[in-house]
Amino acid sequence: MRPPPMDSAAAMAKRSGAALWAALRFCFPLLLVLLAWETASRLGLARPLFLPPVTEVARQFGTLLVSGDIVGPLVLSLYRAFAGLALAVVIGMAAGLVMARSKWTHWALDPLVSIGFPTPKIAFLPIFILWFGIDSLSKILLVAFTCVLPMVVATYHGALGVSRTVIWSAEAMGTSENKMLYRIILPACLPYVFSGIRVTTPVALITAFTAEMIAGGGGVGSALMFAQRFFQTPTVFVYILVMLVTGFAFDRLMLRLRDWLIPWQDEAERH
Amino acid sequence: MSRICIEHLDKRYRSRTGDVPALLDINLDIGDGEFVSVIGPSGCGKSTLLYVLGGFIAADGGTMRIDGKPITGPGVDRGIVFQEYALFPWLTVEKNIQYGLEMVGLGRRERDAIARKLIRTVNLEGFEHRFPRELSGGMKQRVAIARTLAYDPKILLLDEPFGALDSQTRETMQDELRRLWLAQRKTVLLVTHDVDEAVYLSERVIVMSSRPGRIVEEFKIAVDRSGGREATVLSEEFMRLRNAVWLCVRRQVSAAAH
Amino acid sequence: MAGPGATASAPERQLPRLMRASFRFLPVAIFLLIWEAIVDLGLVDRSFLPSFGDTMAALWTMARDGEIAFNLWVSIYRSIGGLAIGSILGVAVGLMMATSRRAEEFFGPLVATTYSLPKASLVPLFILWFGIGDVTDMLTVVLACLLPVVVSTYHGVKAVPPVIVWSARAMGTPRWKILWRVLLPASLHPILIGVRIALGFCFVLTISAEMIAAKSGIGKLIFFYGESGAYAYMFGGLAAVVVVAYAADRALLAAMHHLLRWDDSIHAAAADG
Repeated sequence: MRPPPMDSAAAMAKRSGAALWAALRFCFPLLLVLLAWETASRLGLARPLFLPPVTEVARQFGTLLVSGDIVGPLVLSLYRAFAGLALAVVIGMAAGLVMARSKWTHWALDPLVSIGFPTPKIAFLPIFILWFGIDSLSKILLVAFTCVLPMVVATYHGALGVSRTVIWSAEAMGTSENKMLYRIILPACLPYVFSGIRVTTPVALITAFTAEMIAGGGGVGSALMFAQRFFQTPTVFVYILVMLVTGFAFDRLMLRLRDWLIPWQDEAERH
Repeated sequence: MSRICIEHLDKRYRSRTGDVPALLDINLDIGDGEFVSVIGPSGCGKSTLLYVLGGFIAADGGTMRIDGKPITGPGVDRGIVFQEYALFPWLTVEKNIQYGLEMVGLGRRERDAIARKLIRTVNLEGFEHRFPRELSGGMKQRVAIARTLAYDPKILLLDEPFGALDSQTRETMQDELRRLWLAQRKTVLLVTHDVDEAVYLSERVIVMSSRPGRIVEEFKIAVDRSGGREATVLSEEFMRLRNAVWLCVRRQVSAAAH
Repeated sequence: MAGPGATASAPERQLPRLMRASFRFLPVAIFLLIWEAIVDLGLVDRSFLPSFGDTMAALWTMARDGEIAFNLWVSIYRSIGGLAIGSILGVAVGLMMATSRRAEEFFGPLVATTYSLPKASLVPLFILWFGIGDVTDMLTVVLACLLPVVVSTYHGVKAVPPVIVWSARAMGTPRWKILWRVLLPASLHPILIGVRIALGFCFVLTISAEMIAAKSGIGKLIFFYGESGAYAYMFGGLAAVVVVAYAADRALLAAMHHLLRWDDSIHAAAADG
């Protein structure tokens, strides 16, 4: 593909100016909310126990950051979330692929998927704690358990979506079943798999945080509950914001990643 | 009275690289009860003209008046039938047809009566309680026309209403449209790309150039249609006019290509 | 093009359908049998995994005492109540965002940023503000259900073909009526898809909030029995949750199929479980 023509400096400046303006317009409502928050707090409209000023929260954030109380727990939570997600992706892809190729496997697993899908998997947390303790293992497995079904469904639909003429061509050229799975079907369903990962990443994060809030054992969720028990409201806000920013950052990251990894995907298929 | 007066109408579309003119200096007078067709190459802006007349998009220059009053927005005086039918998919045939009547404030019994009459007129008896998804293209188009006729607008704006139909259905629908017009004498502005259709149905055919759309020629159609479709279409006068219009449109198409 | 309804007699068509449904869910029965077997055969310690039988017995006891009914009811009204409020608000905001430039610019960034916030993280904050109880739980559920409905309503309304709105306006529909008579029905399918997503969320959040801190509710019940070691009862509560969540999802699907019977795409998507 021919590279785009060289822009004049003026055109480039205009474009980055427009991007800056767009970013500002995006932040405007957020800044408005923060301003309202700060004003309400300072004017005493709400007790500082309930609504500390934004500046207080910001200061507490700095304090906690320096003392390592943010990075440490965050790394732990992220580890649990992504380890669980990775497990879910591997198992989910395997199950989805086999379900797509084998009618009996589909028959055996489909009702479990259908019934499991609407169930709130967080309800299984006490079981996982019973079996695996309150440390990372139970949380990783719960995350995996929660994320596996969407991955199965995404992979299954991706694998089914491979056009049968492609499969027939491969069969005609003597492709064995094994090779069929990982040379033909697997690459073809990667966009769906990636879409599934993109959608499931927030679920992984939410499950990890929530499990920590309920069961303790370190991580941002536990830290949040700890702060609440001791009525340290600014700290509570800090950890809520940490969760928010983490979620937002990974969502944007996933979008970038998709554009970088799968640039050939049809615009119409994107959400 | 429903005279349409268009003077020096301009319409531009804004894009990042600048303005793209769609309509340039359109001047058109349509008399009360007249049947006029607008025809031209693809993209010449004939649909845009209809949308501006309907009040759905604003003009950038010039004036449009209905009976001396300027157009400010959509209204029940200008009924519109779109190429895509634009039926309300969540309403049955009957409810679709009654919609306009409800908006003008008619009571239940009156609405039912008028709808029933129209359903009979467009030959859709038995389908009152069907949803649009259960109908064929021709049937949907009949519902669209019935819906617009129901509240009796003075002016009919038709945007390639038969474009998506097969030719047999199209001919039937054209005859029905002409029959309705002869009975009610509404002012009709029909946009089409089909030369035969334009000449068969109208009293006047306006030819537009390709983008930006300008009016390049007007043809007065004085054809004896009393002998029925076959006699009319095969008559010398019809063929002569039809060829003249066709040639004119062809010239606009090839002018655009250069 | 769909024709008139099926003309085969009802009983003849019922039998194969029942058989097909049983066949479809046979793996579940097999799963339950295997579960029962591995515990009864001593392959797994009973104190770690109560058998299916134990679970059902415990569930029966709780049902007889009214314990299950009470806690399920509490959880259901928190979740469905929150879902209802969140959905109505979500549709309203989504409609506003889709029809007003200013609303879109104001709410858009707020929606995009708070989407990634785990709403359960607000529970400790709400406990500080409102104490432990229904307000905290329902508020959390409302916030969780709000966003998916806002987003799906927004996209649904934006996708309504302009010619539909134009037709309505040409027929004399005043601007304020367009929202209710045209935009809402036309975007009903995407809106209900958003509600279905929110339905999943509402149960997750109710249970999460109840497990974090609550005086009642099925989440609290499960957690409590887990803490006190009565695992059969814990599993019993869990079984109740699975059944309720599945039934609710099916009910919503059935409602969708009825409300959207005029929609082409719902018939195409009928295979979607």
